[in-house]
Amino acid sequence: MIRFENVTKVYDPNARPALDAVNLEIDRGEFTFLVGASGSGKSTFLRLILKEDRATSGSVYVAGQNVANISSWRVPKLRRGIGVVFQDFRLLPQKNVFANVAFAMQVIGKSRSIIRETVPEVLKTVGLEGKERRMPHELSGGEQQRVAIARAVVNRPGILLADEPTGNLDPITSMGIMGVLDKINQNGTTVVMATHDDDIVNEMRKRVVELRNGVVVRDEARALYTSMIPVVGESRRMKDASDAEIDRAQGVQQ
Amino acid sequence: MRLAFILGEIGSGLRRNLSMVISVVLVTFVSLTFVGAAGMLQMQINQMKGYWYDKVQVAIFLCNDSSTATGCASGAVTKEQQDNLAKMLDSPAVKQYISDYQFESQADAFKHFKEQFSNSPIVDSVTQDQLPSSFRINMKDPQKYQIISETFSSQAGVETVSDQRQVLERIFEWMNGASVAAMVVAGVMIFCAVLLITTTIRLSAFSRRRETGIMRLVGASKTVIQLPFILEGVIAAVVGAVLASGTLWLVAQFWLNGDLSQQFLNTPFISSTQVLVIAPILIALGGGLAGISSLLTLRRYLKV
Repeated sequence: MIRFENVTKVYDPNARPALDAVNLEIDRGEFTFLVGASGSGKSTFLRLILKEDRATSGSVYVAGQNVANISSWRVPKLRRGIGVVFQDFRLLPQKNVFANVAFAMQVIGKSRSIIRETVPEVLKTVGLEGKERRMPHELSGGEQQRVAIARAVVNRPGILLADEPTGNLDPITSMGIMGVLDKINQNGTTVVMATHDDDIVNEMRKRVVELRNGVVVRDEARALYTSMIPVVGESRRMKDASDAEIDRAQGVQQ
Repeated sequence: MRLAFILGEIGSGLRRNLSMVISVVLVTFVSLTFVGAAGMLQMQINQMKGYWYDKVQVAIFLCNDSSTATGCASGAVTKEQQDNLAKMLDSPAVKQYISDYQFESQADAFKHFKEQFSNSPIVDSVTQDQLPSSFRINMKDPQKYQIISETFSSQAGVETVSDQRQVLERIFEWMNGASVAAMVVAGVMIFCAVLLITTTIRLSAFSRRRETGIMRLVGASKTVIQLPFILEGVIAAVVGAVLASGTLWLVAQFWLNGDLSQQFLNTPFISSTQVLVIAPILIALGGGLAGISSLLTLRRYLKV
């Protein structure tokens, strides 16, 4: 469903690349965690899938299509096949729950009757039935994120990208959100979730891809947040270097 | 659905940015009023040219007793001199340029003078022999005035050859200058309008960046994202253009064809219907400028 072939992304030619020769394949219907420290390249990974950025070298394939070959007027079509959820929800504050979700359908020209039919269905899936008329500020953080998820999946995309969707939520609420994402994944949607939340990763036991300084250092099925297998060889050397860097940074903070 | 959605977006954009939208309306209104005024002046010039050029004549004024010109050293024009001039006017060399001519005697001249200045006390102080007799010539082509002037001004008994066109030409030049000045002011104002539209659209795009960001993510097409902004600018400019057209129509209807036409009975003014020809041009100009400047602004400030 998503394939990275030797993808490098350089923002600043003088600094290290944000992604460095990444090779990765995510299959249809898979649930993948993308873990790693801030600046490890998780967000860049997601942006490349959305064609928000171009890869400096290498190819990104989404649904079998090389995104570099998608002309700019067909990019909207690509994005209709991908739902996105953010840490900060990004709801429209003047619109109620129903209107926020309906907005995603209106702007791609869905008819009123289809919207009236689909939106309540999706709100039910994310556990918000009966709250259609609430305004975003009347909802808890967890509920707001559910609205955002509903909006992301209302057009039935094949892929759902979640960029730290539980970053602003407490652990219990986060688990509720994970339940929603899992349900969406069960319905056949490929989910890629970037996260720092070790509890969630450990609980879910899904595929974990760990990025460090733009390099994939771990790719395990049914894994934990931290590695279960000893780090050796090249990966070991890089892990040590990065640990040293983290130590240094913490030393500076203290 | 999509149309209703876009219209709704336009409505909310216009409401949110109301003060800026009003300023765009006013600036386009003023600038297009100047453009239209320049256009009206040109129409007025053409109208007057068409009306007067058929009526203007070249006049060969003959010497009278009080003439001081060098050609009149021998006193008032004699009968032979006058016949000689008439013969010259009938000769093929000159005849090819003129369509016809009349002789205006001193008595005729005095009569016309009295008619023209009937309300003025000057009539009482002018006598018949003070006025010159003249040949009044209607030219086939008014531009060929020079030939008549060269042929006749050195003849004996001729005081001067005058082209009435030249008097009119000066008026037209003045009007032309006024219309150029109006165009210059209009140009400056249009520049202001374009800058203002650009700023307004930028603000509008900024204040709705949440919406547009989400639209982008869920895969709305470029048209759906950008069209509301562009139409916002175009609508404001078109409202300004309509106001400008209305103002010009009022000016033509109540000032030109009201007050002024009563004061200047002999002047043909453009009608208010003729002004309506300018209206579509102004609307197209306003809408076009707004559309183009919005589009260019969005290309820079609204990522799609």
